Amino acid sequence: MALLRTRDITLHFGGIAALSEVDITIEEKEIVGLLGPNGAGKSTLFNVITGYLKPDFGRVLLQEDDVSRFLPYERVRAGIGRTFQHVKLFRDLTVYENLLVAQHRHLSAGGFAAMFRTPGWRRDEKEARERAARILELVDLGPWKDRKPLEISYGTTRFLELACVLSLEPKILLLDEPASGIQQKEVEALGPMLKRIRDDTGCAILLIEHDMGLLLNSSERIYALDLGKIITEGTPTEVVHDDRVLSSYLGRTRSGSRATA
Amino acid sequence: MSAQTVELDRQEAEPIQAEETASSARRRVTPGRLAGLVGLAAMIAAPLPFGDYGLFIGQFALVYAILGLSIVVVTGYAGMLSLMTYSFAGIGAVVTAAAMSSWDFPFWMSVFIAAAATVPVAVFVGMVSVRLKGLYLAIATLTLSTALGETFFKWDAAMGGRAGWLVEKPAVGPIDLASEAAFYVVLLGVVALLVWMIGGLRTSRLGRAMLAVRNNELEAQALGINPYRTKLSAFVYGGMIAGVGGSFLALLLTNVTREAFQSPQVEVTSILLVSLVVIGGMNRAIGAVLGAVALVAQQQVFQGAEALFSVFGLYAAVLLILFLRLHPGGIVQLGQSLAHLTRVRPALGIGITSAILLFNIGGGYLIVRYLS
Repeated sequence: MALLRTRDITLHFGGIAALSEVDITIEEKEIVGLLGPNGAGKSTLFNVITGYLKPDFGRVLLQEDDVSRFLPYERVRAGIGRTFQHVKLFRDLTVYENLLVAQHRHLSAGGFAAMFRTPGWRRDEKEARERAARILELVDLGPWKDRKPLEISYGTTRFLELACVLSLEPKILLLDEPASGIQQKEVEALGPMLKRIRDDTGCAILLIEHDMGLLLNSSERIYALDLGKIITEGTPTEVVHDDRVLSSYLGRTRSGSRATA
Repeated sequence: MSAQTVELDRQEAEPIQAEETASSARRRVTPGRLAGLVGLAAMIAAPLPFGDYGLFIGQFALVYAILGLSIVVVTGYAGMLSLMTYSFAGIGAVVTAAAMSSWDFPFWMSVFIAAAATVPVAVFVGMVSVRLKGLYLAIATLTLSTALGETFFKWDAAMGGRAGWLVEKPAVGPIDLASEAAFYVVLLGVVALLVWMIGGLRTSRLGRAMLAVRNNELEAQALGINPYRTKLSAFVYGGMIAGVGGSFLALLLTNVTREAFQSPQVEVTSILLVSLVVIGGMNRAIGAVLGAVALVAQQQVFQGAEALFSVFGLYAAVLLILFLRLHPGGIVQLGQSLAHLTRVRPALGIGITSAILLFNIGGGYLIVRYLS
């Protein structure tokens, strides 16, 4: 049984087909890359899978359950976690508080319970603090615990965002350019980290990435997208040697030399 | 008003965790805490020298504080600028008056009925306005407030006829609220309880969801938070708190009439309530209390000096805007900055704090003594 499948996803923006009949399949614990030039529709596909955009037609299946009608937060609860191309986070809250917010779906105490500080609320808060502390430890963000997102490096906010999404214990993680805007050293740490996340949590990963080294090294399978269509699919080596990929993407950009190197 | 909406996003972050550190820190008596307690005691005792009139003004400030607490939840926590708090208070007041006068319910039960009565209205308002943002939400709530004034608050059966409801201050158990002092003390207790409750709400699943939605709705959804439900909850909790405030407002007014909840009074009062919360600091429950005290004290000081008021009105407005540009967290944030300054440079901190207090209290005294 496939973990995630999209069927015939088609979406037009005005007269332009942003996505046409996109079918992708991701198996359990698989790391899949999404390759394509700017405007190919990668982020659009992410937004459709996560419910931020409604396709004209087509369906999204999570473990064969149709989640096409789910709102974004409902898809998160169903197990689809995502990060954004531009880090969002909560700017008024500290790193630790951001992580506390991310524990939302593991908690249950209501507003009245909190107002009267019932034992249920106490248990809830203890659980939230413990979970947040554990994740803080896991992603090594301890030293920045009480800082706000704007006070730490962009790369660190990327890791924080990842930590928040991991708190949701997703079945599949959609990462939109996790390496963009971060230092080369951090990019190099990202590849092994993605594999570790997959091994430790057992979630599958769908990755959009412009850093070719990272994409080709971490992905086990790659879909190449151009002008809203899947043009080919295969292992990283197969995909980078595919003529259609070379002409649509690598031929037109300088990253081709890096990819084959 | 637009300045206030802008400030909604720029609130100081306050600790929303730290329940354990707070409880261990609570046992320590630091000079700052001592100063805070003395200030609180002074605020509570302030009406006493002025006899029953002073107590009435104190009660008035505390009722406004309850209504302000409703705004802390809706606007401070959840970031929605709602301008119909006083309409919710009106529903609470009318329901309380009706329950006590025509159905002979005891007061304490009427308070619960008043809180419950606001829920369907809050749900309705929430559902029609939950997708609106910023000024559009403000306008929508203002319109709904006017509409309620033209419908519900015009309805003779609800309003007890043209003359409105007459409410006598009842006895609750052994406490006779007809005594100004007793009513004042009961209100103090209610406000303290609500501040405690709303403080707790902040450190909870729902409270954090509200802060998250205020900050960034898209990211909140990406963390599995239902933004519509969260905002709706904020409206419902805010409405209930305003309803409770309305119950006490009914006792305070003794005569609950329709005019107070109709155009233009109702809109003016709601906006006044939002401003007092902004001044006090809308990110913290105690901000509503500080704002209410500051506003009522100012009203009293300038009451007899109307000529001065028109001159100082402009000055006060400019000062307020500057204050909010520099300290969007209101008096609460000012207090925090002063406390921090006192820790780092004790002499300077204490000096500036004393200067501010002396300027305000002394200035107030001089105006009342010589200019009214």
